[in-house]
Amino acid sequence: MLTSHPTLLIGPSDWDADVMPRQEFARRIEALWRAFPEAPCAIVYGSPAHHAELAYLTNLVPKLEAAVAIFSRGGAQEVHLGGGPNMLGSAKPLTFITDIKPMRGGQAIGRRSLEMKEGMPGTPLIIGDGYMPTAFHQSMDEAIGEQPISATAQVWALMHRSSSHELHAMRESAFALNGAITAITDAKKAGAGVTEAILAGEREANSRGAQDIRTLFSLDGGRTLQPFTAALATQVDPLQVYVAARRFNYWTEGFLALSDSRRPAVARAKELLRQALAAIKPNVKTADVLGIIHAGARPYQIHPVTERAIVSRLGLTLEEAPHTNPGMSFENGDIYSVRVGITNGTNEHAIVSAMVRVREGGTDMLWTA
Amino acid sequence: MNFQERLTNIRARMRDEKIALLVGVHDGAHFIEKPNPVMVLSGFKSLGPSATLLATDGAMTLVVTPHWDAARATQCCPEARVVGVDNVVEGVLGEVEGRAAAGTAIATAGLRFLPYDIASHLSFALPGARSADKLVFDAARTKTADEIAHAREATRIAERGYEHLIAIARPGMSEDELAVELKWFMKTLGAEDNFLLLCAGPHNRAVQPSTGRKLETGDIILAEITPSYRGQLAQICRTVVLGKPSQELADKYALVVRAMDEGIKAAVPGIAMAAVCRAINLVLEAEGYGEYCYPPHIRRRGHGLGFASIRPGDVALDNTTMLEPDMVFMIHPNQYLPETGYLLCGEPVVLTEHGAEPLTQQKAALAAVAG
Repeated sequence: MLTSHPTLLIGPSDWDADVMPRQEFARRIEALWRAFPEAPCAIVYGSPAHHAELAYLTNLVPKLEAAVAIFSRGGAQEVHLGGGPNMLGSAKPLTFITDIKPMRGGQAIGRRSLEMKEGMPGTPLIIGDGYMPTAFHQSMDEAIGEQPISATAQVWALMHRSSSHELHAMRESAFALNGAITAITDAKKAGAGVTEAILAGEREANSRGAQDIRTLFSLDGGRTLQPFTAALATQVDPLQVYVAARRFNYWTEGFLALSDSRRPAVARAKELLRQALAAIKPNVKTADVLGIIHAGARPYQIHPVTERAIVSRLGLTLEEAPHTNPGMSFENGDIYSVRVGITNGTNEHAIVSAMVRVREGGTDMLWTA
Repeated sequence: MNFQERLTNIRARMRDEKIALLVGVHDGAHFIEKPNPVMVLSGFKSLGPSATLLATDGAMTLVVTPHWDAARATQCCPEARVVGVDNVVEGVLGEVEGRAAAGTAIATAGLRFLPYDIASHLSFALPGARSADKLVFDAARTKTADEIAHAREATRIAERGYEHLIAIARPGMSEDELAVELKWFMKTLGAEDNFLLLCAGPHNRAVQPSTGRKLETGDIILAEITPSYRGQLAQICRTVVLGKPSQELADKYALVVRAMDEGIKAAVPGIAMAAVCRAINLVLEAEGYGEYCYPPHIRRRGHGLGFASIRPGDVALDNTTMLEPDMVFMIHPNQYLPETGYLLCGEPVVLTEHGAEPLTQQKAALAAVAG
């Protein structure tokens, strides 16, 4: 889900070798080389807003300015960080890579990648370049003298398989998410206004170690969602919320419709979610699950918020279209967010969701509404 | 000036420059250093990539992503036609392709700040479009009355945040914990976003994003507290010692404050921004810190405050922008000194006919909390 992206990433993001050991990254980088046996080196770009590939290969989530990692097949690894030499210290705790240099523009990155080919033939790989500034990209290409080979899609394919370390990170993330949702629920029950309840959730996620927390909520019973733009004392019922929590770089998310009274739309959405989750198994077609939700929704319509993304993969990013496309079928070991949103177009709306990991015979629940 | 008057100015300049359609685009990654033509033209702060299309007759179309955010955009900009899409490039091209083919003179704003995926597609599809960055951001070089009011409120929030920092900072707390708590606290006061750089150490080289480092007695905490209120940022730069500050540190901080005061005094309408920087540098150079007035120690003595426009730009020796009433910007010496390390000291100001008025109630002063 797209949420309001903050101007600066604030929160605990230091690399924790116990949570994500260096061998985990070595395995990922090795898998990249296997996918591109001719590639001599790889350039990986990430910005504070878009950095899933960079985080996957280096653990680095740039908080302030963009960063580029360059890997050589021979094993050399370095990070080039934007913001000048005085910013290097703050990036050191964020990654296992110790060679961190100030970024000097696209041309310098291109030249450095040629040096890091270490005499090997072949064209450098480029990953995450869609988010590079145009001038940076062009000057990098000029320095390399040819178009680097895009490996972004292959990295996304590698990211689908969750290791035990990644699963642990996701569970920790879900723990923060659950804390937030529980706190919002409790605050609403206690009579809190809408943003007071949302902020109670954010604070609880923070106290559980979340490195980032994003929220959306509705002031019109779930018809539309909005980000926090000002403190609002208004009490609303039903209160439709969306919460995304991040821990150890991994995101989990949840939709919840809270109400003091029984709401038919909420009950129907929850029942549809239950049916959808029951149907999810390895190799089940995603279209079949979407069919269950569409068919069961009538006379409601699918909610605009979920109509184009009932099932999404989630992990190092909240929204990277089209990469969050769920694919043709559910795959064993993948983690999905399953969202059921329905509306009658006027006064009844509800969105609920769950996060599951697909396993033989069914799913393991990470979080559910 | 109000928002409508700014739009009228922009349309007049479009006519002067024979631009029939202006397309402002932003990628939704709101950053303090990145101007946002969509906010300048529409006031809308988007979740994802978005665009504002403005015609000289005043007709405005707002293209927003994700598609479901169209309702919020409509509420924000009731006079605009809002189109909700999931791909801003397709959305913009759907609106302009026919007109481009018919020879309409199109100009774009914000393209050079966009990521490659968006910018390259738009540039390819609109080969004749020229840049209107200067037109759009020049028009927003001064703030509207609402933006100034929001900057005042953001400053009030920043000062409350600083009070909270003084109240809660203690040894053993990590920089991250402190920053997260301050961000949350200021959000409770209405700050929808916050560029809060916070770090600590016995001898800082610069202010940086927070990390997991634990605060220790004797640390100097640097905090660039920058809440945004209704899309308008304001900033205060503060320095806090964990424990008793040395006399030398107190003296050096007083020097930096004096430099800032000279900068504030120098900021009057009709002079170039460079003069403000020069006034600050003169104080420090006179005390023998000339070499520290240039990179890598310092590259500017302040800056504009977005999110819409970041004009009048940096308080830097090469900024020739002439100062005008209703400009809002930061004046912060933020100086590295070899004896003390980096010291943060800065105020947001609004320029009036008589000079720079700090928006803060309390000017920067070296603070100490129990170590």
